[in-house]
Amino acid sequence: MRSRFARHLQSVLRPTTRDKARLSAERPPISPELTGHQYAIFLLRVAAGIEHALMAQYLYAAYSLGGPNVAPQHAATVVRWQEVILGIAKEEMGHLITVQNVLRLISGPISFDREDYPFDAAFYPFDFMLEKLTPGSLAKYVYAEKPPDWTGPLADEITKLATEANHNAPLNAVSELYQLMIDTIADRTLVPDRAFRADTEDAQASWNEWGRGYAHGARGNAQGGSPAGSPDLIIRTLASRDEAVAALRAIAEQGEATRLVDGEHSHFERFLTIYKEWKVIGHAGTFAPARPVATNPVVEDSLAESAPASRGACTVITHPVTFYWAHLFNVRYRLLLSALTHIFESWDAYTANAQPTARSELITLVFGEMYKVRGLGSVLVDLPVHDGVPVEREAAGPPFEMPYTLSIPLRESDRWRWHLDMLAASRGILGHLGKLDTNASRQGFLAAIRDGDAELMRRIELIIAGLEKTGSAGSASSGGKV
Amino acid sequence: MTKLTEIRILPPLAIARLGDAAEPVNNYDLEVSANHPLGFRAIIEAPTLVIDEETGAIAARECRPVTFKDPDGRIRPVAPFLELWGRTGPGDDDWRHLTMHDLQGATIRWRATVGNIKVFRRTGDVHDKVEATTGWFSAHARMPLEGRADNFLAGKHIPLGDVRYIRPTEQFPQIRVRYTPAHGYVYGSSTFVKKADGTYASDALGYLQADANLRDVVYDSSKGRWLGFNEPIPPNTPFLPTLTIPPQIFAGQAGPNNGDWISSGYLDDECDGMIEVELDIGGTTLRSFARLGAGPPAFAPDSYPIRTVYDELEQALLGPTVDPAQYTDDELQADAEEILRRAFETVRLMNTTIMNGNAYDGKLDIGSTMVRQDCNDAARAWETIMAPTIVDNLAVQSLHQNIVAVLRSGAPPWFTSTLRKFDEIGDLTDLGRRKMPGMMRNADGRYLCLTRRQYEKIRLAATRFVSRAATKETP
Repeated sequence: MRSRFARHLQSVLRPTTRDKARLSAERPPISPELTGHQYAIFLLRVAAGIEHALMAQYLYAAYSLGGPNVAPQHAATVVRWQEVILGIAKEEMGHLITVQNVLRLISGPISFDREDYPFDAAFYPFDFMLEKLTPGSLAKYVYAEKPPDWTGPLADEITKLATEANHNAPLNAVSELYQLMIDTIADRTLVPDRAFRADTEDAQASWNEWGRGYAHGARGNAQGGSPAGSPDLIIRTLASRDEAVAALRAIAEQGEATRLVDGEHSHFERFLTIYKEWKVIGHAGTFAPARPVATNPVVEDSLAESAPASRGACTVITHPVTFYWAHLFNVRYRLLLSALTHIFESWDAYTANAQPTARSELITLVFGEMYKVRGLGSVLVDLPVHDGVPVEREAAGPPFEMPYTLSIPLRESDRWRWHLDMLAASRGILGHLGKLDTNASRQGFLAAIRDGDAELMRRIELIIAGLEKTGSAGSASSGGKV
Repeated sequence: MTKLTEIRILPPLAIARLGDAAEPVNNYDLEVSANHPLGFRAIIEAPTLVIDEETGAIAARECRPVTFKDPDGRIRPVAPFLELWGRTGPGDDDWRHLTMHDLQGATIRWRATVGNIKVFRRTGDVHDKVEATTGWFSAHARMPLEGRADNFLAGKHIPLGDVRYIRPTEQFPQIRVRYTPAHGYVYGSSTFVKKADGTYASDALGYLQADANLRDVVYDSSKGRWLGFNEPIPPNTPFLPTLTIPPQIFAGQAGPNNGDWISSGYLDDECDGMIEVELDIGGTTLRSFARLGAGPPAFAPDSYPIRTVYDELEQALLGPTVDPAQYTDDELQADAEEILRRAFETVRLMNTTIMNGNAYDGKLDIGSTMVRQDCNDAARAWETIMAPTIVDNLAVQSLHQNIVAVLRSGAPPWFTSTLRKFDEIGDLTDLGRRKMPGMMRNADGRYLCLTRRQYEKIRLAATRFVSRAATKETP
């Protein structure tokens, strides 16, 4: 149990019957160790972790879709489902960003952290599990996003299936956490007016920089898989309590649907639609929309001859080529998270002027690594997980393993060197793959990564030189203009 | 004698590039480097036909070093060859490049006719049309194309290049002609620089200023009105239906009234036209023609623009829609990658911060950009297209290069809806202005979009992911 988090939520997310009755009538108790302001920050960081975890699991499920097992008559449906789930995952990214903005508004530290293996966070909607899309995993997603007042035979059916898929561990709906968060932040007695810092608005993530056109279904719905108007990224800059509450409410309604509103295409409704469609198609005979990707794929530091095929609930990738592809994925995922942390932590440095400088480079780095995560994910779902096991029986998958730390160095120039270190590690892995993987198509991908990285490293060296030349290498609040 | 039923000049369209060096650019291919797939395309020497200037015959066919300027810094022209092909049977494969042996006993003659009617396009005066023809010819000397107009000074012309019937030999018996374009010079209407009010400009000492741009004065401004021609726009006059979009894109200067644009009277030596062939053979005369033109040099020869004449022709030939059965998954993926490669090659040539409308040293509106066009054409408020902080040129290049890299993984394109459709070029919302290709103007004055066929290829590549995995090789 990760008690440093869970102990502050016990009465909320694992309530006894008596607690439940009380919760419906009054505010949940807050630990005497926390002020209301601190409690709001705490809840926001929990929410950030959940959004991040859901995003990774949804991406994994989406990447699993497709492959040679999909019958031609079902191909269009599977393409559509993938688009829907990727759209939801992108909206989770928007939620994650806007939650950081609320944190910034009330002077809380940002958080891109989330649970990893072994999974033991009791407040999450269900145990973190990277797995292919199945009726069971789909049921968990529906449950996690369900509105609190959802009842009926279908609700019972999905709850039962989701609980079984969660190994009979308790489930939580995210809507409960969001309602608690909204109630807390809206309450002046808990979070005083002075906690809201309108002057941080320029230091928050804006839609113009991060939205990439994903508004009202204008992007990410090329196949028409998502309902009209979606995906729709909610990325809002905030200057007041009302705006923060409105943003959190919008997130809750979009994703976690605290209320049933006709025409509001929440994540809950979108997952439920897929679930219903699967039931219909599944009745018609064999239906295999997903590749046989591993559950919770992980990689060890080295390839021992007697490497175990599993570690707890995780599948250890032991194939000698896939091993390096998985490490490549992990290091690029880490670079993505580090660049994201860097840009949020260095905000003052890069908003002091609107000129495109290192800020442009960092935002591009984040999106570039998002693209690579996508590309590497599409490679990994077609690679074998173990030597001698055909990929048709069990494939690997993107491991999404969290780095040992998300903290970044203090000095601005050292932050860039931090990224260089990851690129150097990546270069080493690329070298191994260059020798081991004989597939021409994948070699073309590797060559492009190598080529792009060489140029990126050169530019980062220039940024560092610029920082050191202007004497701002030691300050996170004045660097970046090169 | 070979029995011929039809003849064709191939290619049916040849585009030359201006240059004043004596030797044209040698032949080359562009290749994406295996080791540096995100870098510049490699220029690879390809077999070049070397012409003996004296005889007009091919002296050699060999790979030669590729340079775009000669040792004196003069630009090498691109001088295309056009081949004569004949049909010897009813089948589609019964075409072949004709040789002198096929033409024994036959008579062949060529004629090139070209024009430069840019000034006529502005003034509407037919006497401003610059036209040239070689007349029919069968010999192997260079046949000059001397561009003349009624409004030219007596005896003056603009050289528009020449055409040469390449002498077939036993070693190189094929029938072909070559068009060598003009040098890329500027011609004018006045030896001395004139101001918008018609008076001559003078320096501080009172001396008239000779116009250093000019190769020659050819235009008689007492006959034609090109020098000092005013192409007014609002508020001076309403937009006229004959104006180009945008108007006033010729060398000139502002006039006395807001909306005036006064021509400096310049002409250039670009042209386009036709080359015809007639072949008297076996008691009949077969005819064919091809189109040719001359445009400016390629100053980034190792890059391709995102939308080219090739794309236009492909769409004209094959239509705006794509039959999925005509392409394999890998071909569609390769086409999508090629379009994105051209995107970052294009970005490499752009000043993205200025084209986005960013301020430069605190000053706004310092270049001709789509931001300015949106203000001028549609009275839109001045606003950058993208957020000012994300348009650093190297970063934008890197972003596009990352997309190319990921497409090479086999991942299907995921960005179809960021592409501007042909009917969205006037969408001036934030979302509309941010669609791709970005920040660039099409010939219609509005935002550039891909051809419908290019768009369709990317869209199809995006829908075919399910079956791609089946073709992948397991390590």
